[in-house]
Amino acid sequence: MGSAKPNLKRKASNIEANGAAAVATLHADRQDSGSDDSGDEDFDGLLEGVLDGDDESESEYDRSADEEDDSEDELASEDIPTDNEVEEDEGKSALTNGASPKNEDDRPNYRIEKDANGGVRYVYDEIDPVYDSDDTDAQGPVNTIGNIPLSFYDSYPHIGYDINGKKILRPATGEALDSLLDSIELPEGWTGLTDPETGKPLNLSRDELELLKRVQMKEVPEEGYDMYPDTVEWYTSQVEQFPLSAAPEPKRRFVPSKHEAKRVMKLVKAIREGRILPYKPPEEREKEQQEEEEVQYDLWADEVPRPPDVMHIPAPKLAPPGYDLSYNPPPEYLPTNAEKKAWEETDPEDREKAYLPQKYDSLRRTPAYDQFVKERFERCLDLYLAPRVRKNRLNIDPLSMLPKLPRPEELRPFPTVASIEFAGHEGRVRSVAIDSSGQWLASGGDDGTVRVWGLSDGKQQWQAKLSSEDPVDAVRWRPGQDALILSAAVGEDIYLMIPSTMDPELELASRAVLDAGFGYASNAKQQTTATGARKDPPAKWARPGARLEDEGVLLKATVRSPVKVINWHRRGDFFCTVSPTGQRSAVAIHTLSKHLTQIPFRKLPGGAPQTASFHPSRPLFFVATQRTIRCYDLQRQELVKTVQPGCRWISSFDIHPGGDHLIAGSYDRRLLWHDLEMSIRPYKTLRFHEQAIRSVKFHPGSYPLFADCSDDGTLQIFHSKVVNDLLEGPTITPVKSLSGHRVVSKLGVTDIAWHPHHPWIVSASADVKVPQPADCRSGTNTTHEYKMLRLVVA
Amino acid sequence: MDTPMGQPAMAAPQEIRVNFTTSSPDLQLPEDRNLKRYGLSRILNSSSMLDTPSPIPLDFLINGEFLRTSLQEYLAANGLNAEETLNIQYVRSLIPPVHQASFEHDDWISGVDVLSTTSSAGRWSGDKLALNQDRIVSSSYDGVLQIWDPSGKCMARSSAGGHTASAKAVKFLSSTQIASAGLDRTVRIWKYAESDGGLQATLKPSLELYGHKASVDALDVHGPTGRVLSASADGAIGLWSTSKSSSPAAPAGLLPGAGASESKKRKLSGASAAPQRGALSMMPVHNTPATAVCFDPTDATVAYSASQDHTIRTLDLTTSKVENVITTSHPLLALTPLQRNPGTASSSVLLAAATAARHITLVDPRVSASTTSVLTLRGHKNMVSSLAAGPDNDYSLVSGAYDGTCRIWDLRSVRAGTKAEGSGSVSESVYVIERESLKNSKQRRTAGDVSGRGAKVFGVAWDKTFGIVSGGEDKMVQINRGQDLLASS
Repeated sequence: MGSAKPNLKRKASNIEANGAAAVATLHADRQDSGSDDSGDEDFDGLLEGVLDGDDESESEYDRSADEEDDSEDELASEDIPTDNEVEEDEGKSALTNGASPKNEDDRPNYRIEKDANGGVRYVYDEIDPVYDSDDTDAQGPVNTIGNIPLSFYDSYPHIGYDINGKKILRPATGEALDSLLDSIELPEGWTGLTDPETGKPLNLSRDELELLKRVQMKEVPEEGYDMYPDTVEWYTSQVEQFPLSAAPEPKRRFVPSKHEAKRVMKLVKAIREGRILPYKPPEEREKEQQEEEEVQYDLWADEVPRPPDVMHIPAPKLAPPGYDLSYNPPPEYLPTNAEKKAWEETDPEDREKAYLPQKYDSLRRTPAYDQFVKERFERCLDLYLAPRVRKNRLNIDPLSMLPKLPRPEELRPFPTVASIEFAGHEGRVRSVAIDSSGQWLASGGDDGTVRVWGLSDGKQQWQAKLSSEDPVDAVRWRPGQDALILSAAVGEDIYLMIPSTMDPELELASRAVLDAGFGYASNAKQQTTATGARKDPPAKWARPGARLEDEGVLLKATVRSPVKVINWHRRGDFFCTVSPTGQRSAVAIHTLSKHLTQIPFRKLPGGAPQTASFHPSRPLFFVATQRTIRCYDLQRQELVKTVQPGCRWISSFDIHPGGDHLIAGSYDRRLLWHDLEMSIRPYKTLRFHEQAIRSVKFHPGSYPLFADCSDDGTLQIFHSKVVNDLLEGPTITPVKSLSGHRVVSKLGVTDIAWHPHHPWIVSASADVKVPQPADCRSGTNTTHEYKMLRLVVA
Repeated sequence: MDTPMGQPAMAAPQEIRVNFTTSSPDLQLPEDRNLKRYGLSRILNSSSMLDTPSPIPLDFLINGEFLRTSLQEYLAANGLNAEETLNIQYVRSLIPPVHQASFEHDDWISGVDVLSTTSSAGRWSGDKLALNQDRIVSSSYDGVLQIWDPSGKCMARSSAGGHTASAKAVKFLSSTQIASAGLDRTVRIWKYAESDGGLQATLKPSLELYGHKASVDALDVHGPTGRVLSASADGAIGLWSTSKSSSPAAPAGLLPGAGASESKKRKLSGASAAPQRGALSMMPVHNTPATAVCFDPTDATVAYSASQDHTIRTLDLTTSKVENVITTSHPLLALTPLQRNPGTASSSVLLAAATAARHITLVDPRVSASTTSVLTLRGHKNMVSSLAAGPDNDYSLVSGAYDGTCRIWDLRSVRAGTKAEGSGSVSESVYVIERESLKNSKQRRTAGDVSGRGAKVFGVAWDKTFGIVSGGEDKMVQINRGQDLLASS
């Protein structure tokens, strides 16, 4: 309390000192205003009072001047010895600083002090902004207590803190006398209010009073402001009729500016290249950028709830935590040491649980879950990899992809069982043929004989030995029931014979057919070459000799090279022969009724011909070379088409009785079906044999069958449904593979022949068979090797 | 004449109730017998049941099948339980057709026929048939006919004036007449005469019948009217008479040597001695080779012909018209009539036709018949070439086939056919007669072999006296015991 008293005293004196003149003016004002001394009147009255004393205080009194005075006073009081007051000292130093500009030249504007570490520290004086300083903010001591009522400080000697943290002391409140004095001589600008910031009486300056007065008078607050100045017409309101310049409009105004075009193009280019983007509000752009940066994948974003369904599998759920996941599980859930050890020893992947139940005293002691990241990751994997939809695997039976072929049982009848063996040949059988009545089977083989068998009983009825050296390469019956004529090729010779069948009428007719050509042969003119020399005829027709004539062989035609193939025209007057080694005369067409041989092709492209055949109904002639089958029109004498089966070496071919289809067999194991109307390429390629195909044959009668025979010792029977519908191709079904022939020196089945009326087929082979029943019975046990033929029936 | 007897019999530890029935009047069981626990045959042969002086071997039919296993096994196989009562029909046991003799020929045998008191030819000849004049005739592919006595002695052999090519069929017309046909397109009638009490015999051609244009493959004869039917490969059926006088003249163009060379003509004309005649009628009913023909057993004016064109045609011989055509699904090779219930009002004819598809089909030839195919006999492994009805009864049949076997069929034993067999009723053979020549041989047989290679059977005949006579590719006439093969009264 001792320190507080002198402070108060000093304050009072301070106020006295600095307010001497002001008090005097205030007193004078108070006297003018009369009764207005309570300080609680209307603001109007108060202001009026204030305004009254306006004139007098205007010149010498304003706030800043007052403050300056104040500091001047304090500076003066520096000399006065005072008590040790901290605030005072500080205030003193501040005042010293404030007074420093006077001695500016003499002293440096800093002091050197020692800091806590003993180092040198430059302490600069505070800059005192003087009146003409730019710093407009410096307004003396400002109370910093903020917007709180000043009454809070009523019990304190100070009313707040200035910017430097120093206490702002409450201005001395005068005694009753003081207030009386105040009321007598009101200072200029007195309002009777107290400035809440400073706690001092709020006085208004003359300017402020003037301003208030103007506002009250509803005048423009600022003096000299002209509210209604004269209009200065910067832009004339009247439209000018004539241009300012009489010069004509320059051309550039009408010509598109190249420079602008250049600029525009630059912009267009930039837009095109994406350097200039259309404007977007920044927030939108930000959003876009964010979206670009963070791509989130939500597997089930667009998933809608669906009713329970077998085909739908919801996302797997985590099992709810059990007791063992508790921080304080019941003791029975806690693993024993052995269990713990076993868990630790097992591979992490093999563990039943990924964790060990553990007990903690309290929830606070439970550590962070160390497996958290791993577990979350695995859960994500579970969700991501787990199947969500039951996908039906493509449930197709591979068998159903195969073309629908009818079952062979439905395609009966076709040959299935070997029924009759025709035993007698003493060498391999090369060719077989069944006559058009279906009763007789002819065969020819390496033993040089031609044999005729009864087809239904297997008994040999006729035989002729045509040659002792050359094998019989081909036997063919002449078509037609009017005569029974058999042709056979042995070497260069073609024999025509009438097997004795105990039918005189038929024999007579056959003889007439064979002998009819002799007259023509003798009358025919000898052809001559260019030089006049007699040209060799393509074939010599003659009687084969008395011995053969007795046996029934009545005619022989000799051509230039060994004949391998004979095929008859359906009318029975023409037959063609093929001798693959004969260069220019390889293919010959013979006319039986004239004993005439013609060579249709001087030069045949495509190499040596293999086989040839007549079309079953039209005047067409087919010649097969190694790789192609050529079709010639006999009437117009031109090439009609070239069929290309695409195999390496054609062995034989046959034409469907309907005439529109052709099958070809090849030595490279392929059987090729051609639709002659459709393409020159095969309609179907069948590769079922392991060895070369020797012969292919269509059933000549009403059965839709064809067969091939191969060197692997098997025959294969096919069912072929040919329809007249152009849109539908033939249906080819393999129905039976017939084996039974043995393969001898890589030769299997050499030839096949269909029965004309029944689904029966005869096959010839190089098969070696041992016993003959008669020999066995007599006990001689001689082994005959005889080659055989078989009849296979449905 | 069934004898239902509700008596329990034990064939096994199990008790099964059976009813014994029989259709044999001589085997009727005495009534009211109470018997237990014996083998079925022993039961019936025991003195308490049939009480026969010597035991009769019996066979048992259950539901149309012969019992070949024990009753127990039969029940298990058919899914029957022991509580059901079985109807067992007992018949005289089938004794296997034991081989009795074989006679050798020079060439393949194409046809056989027998002459005995029980054969049709013997019945037709009546009193003219001498005692013990049981003969077999066989035709051969070398054109020769041979007559054999039961001991295997060759009584006669056609030498001169015979077939110039293979003979295909032969039949006894009577004890003195034989008809044969062959590849030389002729049907020949032979006169057979025996003298010296059966020690000497002669076979002389009596008639050459011309008219067919192709090989004549089958014959049938009717003794009382002297008519011969022939089936030829030209598709025609010929009707011939055995009497020289009633036959028309032979067509000149078909006579031998008409188209042959001069030397051949000379050779042939020298051989021909018998008179040449033509056909009573020539019926070109088939387009493909006719393979078989037969008279109706009850009416000699009706004939049936079979052909490779799958048809059986009923021919009226008086008008030479086709009356009915039955189409089967396979080429037919042989035909024989079976007379059902002979001598009764319900008498009917059933035709057994052998097919190239290895089975025999039984056909009802009546126009009114709703189902033509009655029964299919399956079992042969190759084409069936010949058929003969059993002499004892109307339900036995023998067939010869290219698989080298003769099979005996019991038409009573019937089962339902499987789908692969084309459904219908199917029967299987009771006995199989193998060729003796094949049994002797030591040939190796492989899987791919043609069944019956070298032993095709071309002709078969079944007579009560001789049994089953068959001939074939092995050049043998084989005789097997045929009596009581299928039980009969």
